[in-house]
Amino acid sequence: MRLSFLSPRTLTAAALSVGVTCAALPASAGLNQVIELHILQGTEDFAAATRALSDAAAADCQPAAVQGPYNAAFDAWMEISHLRFGPLEKDGRINAIAFWPDAKGFIGRSLGGLIAEEDPIVQHPQDFSSVSVAARGLFALEMLLYDPQYSGYAADSYTCHLVQAVSFDLARMADGIDADWRDEQAPAMRSAGQPGNTTYLSDDEVTQALYTALLAGLEFTEDQRVGRPLGTFDRPRATRAEARRSGRSLRNVVLSLQALRDFSEALADVQIPVTEAAFDTALEQAEGLNDPVFAGVDDPTGRLKIEILQQRIQAARRAVEGEIGAALGVTAGFNSADGD
Amino acid sequence: MTTRRGFLAAMMASAVVPSLSWADAGNPSFLAAAREADGGYALFGLDGAGADLFRVALPARGHAGVAHPHAPEAVAFARRPGTFALVIDCVSGKVIQQLNSPAGRHFYGHGTFVADGDILCTTENDYDNTAGVIGLWSRSEGYRRIGEIPSHGLGPHEILRLADDILVIANGGIETHPDHGRDKLNIPTMQPSLTYVTPDGTLKDKVELAPELHRNSIRHLAARADGLVGFAMQWQGEQRDAVPLLGLHRLGGTVTLAQADLGEQLAMQGYAGSIAFAGGGAHVGITSPVGGRLHLFTEAGMLAAVHRRADICGLAESAKGFMATDGQGGVWQADLQDFTPVHRAPRNWDNHVVAL
Repeated sequence: MRLSFLSPRTLTAAALSVGVTCAALPASAGLNQVIELHILQGTEDFAAATRALSDAAAADCQPAAVQGPYNAAFDAWMEISHLRFGPLEKDGRINAIAFWPDAKGFIGRSLGGLIAEEDPIVQHPQDFSSVSVAARGLFALEMLLYDPQYSGYAADSYTCHLVQAVSFDLARMADGIDADWRDEQAPAMRSAGQPGNTTYLSDDEVTQALYTALLAGLEFTEDQRVGRPLGTFDRPRATRAEARRSGRSLRNVVLSLQALRDFSEALADVQIPVTEAAFDTALEQAEGLNDPVFAGVDDPTGRLKIEILQQRIQAARRAVEGEIGAALGVTAGFNSADGD
Repeated sequence: MTTRRGFLAAMMASAVVPSLSWADAGNPSFLAAAREADGGYALFGLDGAGADLFRVALPARGHAGVAHPHAPEAVAFARRPGTFALVIDCVSGKVIQQLNSPAGRHFYGHGTFVADGDILCTTENDYDNTAGVIGLWSRSEGYRRIGEIPSHGLGPHEILRLADDILVIANGGIETHPDHGRDKLNIPTMQPSLTYVTPDGTLKDKVELAPELHRNSIRHLAARADGLVGFAMQWQGEQRDAVPLLGLHRLGGTVTLAQADLGEQLAMQGYAGSIAFAGGGAHVGITSPVGGRLHLFTEAGMLAAVHRRADICGLAESAKGFMATDGQGGVWQADLQDFTPVHRAPRNWDNHVVAL
């Protein structure tokens, strides 16, 4: 194990590689299903939702007008946030869209710097990509729209223009992701192993990328979205919950589980009854929680329910490994799983 | 006792058989260990295009290797906490000899030659005394263990020879004990260092980073002919702390730490697996298999290029820039502009590829 603070399975999942005997995902039905029904639908939704957010912010930058479209954009992000390869990794997009966790407080510092200096970059939102990733994307916007330290801004104030610039930049990235998936990534996956394809040297590598993203997505929800606020029994950390300012912590868990269930079904070529049942059990636990920002981690009863949720997500991950991983012939990774 | 006949035979052999060179081994360009399709492990000699020239089966997972400066001979090391190293004849592809770490020691997986190739230096763990040592082996005496010197730090991992046989050692700072496998026993107090040591054990220079970076394990090295040393680090703190993973230093000088912009730095996930200089020393690269990244920097420490590839780890200088290997069997050619697959084999390339 490489990092002392992470569980071995976090690293395993982040680092799966396909065994050389891997049964490739057929470059036909299964792959098309994943690309068309799961991925491209998601990238299109995210592009549309962020465009609506940017338009709304341009028309009226104040929180009351922007929060609704903001939440719709975040919902759409949850459809694809687990696709952490290819277009989401290009140009540092993953961190520019979703800068979380932020234990060091990079977001507040970066936003504070821009506002204090009234950095003129907000007048050129098409160049906003030159700003630190911590001052971009959904979490910077959340801070501006929901944190009382910022959210009282006036129309036409610097912060107002900052909200517009961050929204514009987010829509630009989402549009880029959708275009890159359609023009580059999907064709590269479909032509894996063919001459000239320098992204995927074989079908196995496509299977690896997709399956790794599925498992890593489950682990992120289990270890980060639920695990961070849980902290330890002696030291629960409610303030570490994801998107707690906008009250989305639990909602993000539910949406991520729904997206990952959908992804699992698209990816598997076989029936996956155990996986589906495990996802349903986890979703049932999440939906019954009635604790939107995991504030319950501080009291024993509330905490127990959140721990059970975490265990149910873990069970879903094990089901995926046993049912889908085994069927695809994917094995745990080599260099990235346990470095030296 | 040497018999007269045996003595004469040895004389004849040395007189008649010309000493072999790397040309006799087909001039392999690289050495790399791998896991094969059947789950076994092997070491490969590769040509400049990443194709196999020879294969040597390994008894367990390998890590890195070192080539002899003249003779077509290489030493492959077990992955820590392994206790074997294999001396390989790269012409025949056969194991000449197996070295076993002495009692109370295990190898860390790297080594280098000094004394014009006559002394092999191996990084080792003196685990009962919680000390890093460099084992010394005499090649002309059949790789007899002739002694050891302190690494002047804990967890010596990669070691390189600089001019005048000065050794530069990456002391990772992490305490491990074979009784606990690969568990890290001292993370809160770990103190990595870069040390410069002469073969007689004299410490010439010791570099430690600022206290807030004491969890940045200095693990792998690259060096330029002019003495500039690059070191790659593995962060043992929170993954999203976004600390530098590359340092540049020369004996007696100060450290330059290098990092990418915040987004790309986070993408490395606090882990650099291999490091190499290329482009005549103008560029230095580090890989992150966890983040699927190859970051190329200028010699001044400015980010110059980012290439993405899942499970990329091995990195070495090649004729055209950098050669990189990945856990999916891919071999890649990289420079500031391009990142091109040159070969693919049905195996998982292990952490390192070594240029010969």
